[in-house]
Amino acid sequence: MRGQMTHPDTDVLADLRAGLVTRRRAAMITAHLADCARCAALADELAGVSALLAAVPAPAMPDRMAQRLDTVLAAEVAHRNESERARGVSPRERATRPRRTGNGGFRWISPRVLAPAGAVVVLVAAGGYFLSSHGSSPQMEGASSGAAPATAAQPANGDTSAPKAAAGTVGGTSPRSQRMSPAEFTFVVSPVDFAAGSLTQQLEADLRVPRTTHAATATVKACVQRVAGSAAVLRVESAHYQGQPVTVVVTRASQGDLVQLAGPGCSATGSHVLATRTVPAGILGP
Amino acid sequence: MRDAGEQWPSDAELLRRHVAGDNEAFGELFRRHRDRLWAVALRTVCDPEEAADALQDAMVSAFRRAADFRGDSAVTTWLHRIVVNASLDRLRRRAARPAVPAEEQTFEALVAQDGDPAHATDTRLDVDAALRILPPQQRAALVVVDMLGFSVADAAVILDISTGTVKSRCARARAKLLPHVAHLRGNRSAGESVSPAQGGDP
Repeated sequence: MRGQMTHPDTDVLADLRAGLVTRRRAAMITAHLADCARCAALADELAGVSALLAAVPAPAMPDRMAQRLDTVLAAEVAHRNESERARGVSPRERATRPRRTGNGGFRWISPRVLAPAGAVVVLVAAGGYFLSSHGSSPQMEGASSGAAPATAAQPANGDTSAPKAAAGTVGGTSPRSQRMSPAEFTFVVSPVDFAAGSLTQQLEADLRVPRTTHAATATVKACVQRVAGSAAVLRVESAHYQGQPVTVVVTRASQGDLVQLAGPGCSATGSHVLATRTVPAGILGP
Repeated sequence: MRDAGEQWPSDAELLRRHVAGDNEAFGELFRRHRDRLWAVALRTVCDPEEAADALQDAMVSAFRRAADFRGDSAVTTWLHRIVVNASLDRLRRRAARPAVPAEEQTFEALVAQDGDPAHATDTRLDVDAALRILPPQQRAALVVVDMLGFSVADAAVILDISTGTVKSRCARARAKLLPHVAHLRGNRSAGESVSPAQGGDP
């Protein structure tokens, strides 16, 4: 009789459900289940596992995790724009936002028409007329490269409202934090050897401690420039992480401060970031 | 920020805009799926700190490699694939070094936040704990298929294995999990729904 078959184990029943047994064997097992209450109950329980798993609510992402990702993403965006700028590609040239293509009310000046060295003319979309400014002042850096439309026409004296208007209207470029030259950051030496398991807590404690400022080496400066990109550098520490020397770079981000631990390989060409954390803004000592 | 349920712009359109240089598109795309991506990372890795690192690695990787997306699969499938890879990668690296103690408490504290009904949280904690007994590859398959509801075909893409392997890993995992979750099913059949909010469909 069909009852001759031995009781199938859980694995076999799971295979049956997943469609992994041959038709003939499936028929045998099914017939057995019809006769054997114990195995039928087991098969039933097994079917319930998938249903149970499907019904468990997914954990929502904790707020601090969401903030951390936003911060890292902002750093990625800044880094991409920075490296494109370094390659001479304007982000605006690549952008294909619909609002840009939809502008029919005035004529676009091609971004490919280059400004003479030292002068940048910014096109203001709203009015369709030109405002111009000298591009050599440091505050202009973000706006002049972010709002690319520029022309050789009308080099004139600066109008400080031009960069803001252009960034807001033409390109929708997100406002950048004022850039700090690498020479300006606070560089300290911390005795802490950070550990992966308690990094966030260690950082929050360590960054509150005021320390003596030192002069940063050229290597550190190059590393900081690479890691920070265009973000404002709040503090740089020489410390250790899991026993190896690291450069801790703290930059301002939209929510909280971004802390990046760059390993010994950090240089102008590679950041070698070993770990990243976000700490609440304002925990740094003055 | 846009609503997570909003369908336009589509995922593919957001990804295209991102590749074209739009600074906001990737963030919008990622925010749209981040809870599910977080869930897959957390449940595959079973440790919130490691999962956080895995998800961050995955996000950065997806951001940078977006131009490689060819459209053979849905954008969500592609994103999940990157997250699962990063998660399994973390587990491999963790296996190579000694375990860090005191993770248990953090894990529970982290997953037990937000406003779930208590019994749903209890069930979730029990299931999460049970999942830890599975080998990572089986766990990843089970999370993707049974918990996130991907088809076997999509799961095969996400896990980069054949559909047959997806099925057998899931089958092994369900069989192994059964004795550890049977008591939870008992509660449910006694008349209490596991998740009144979601009302999962078998």
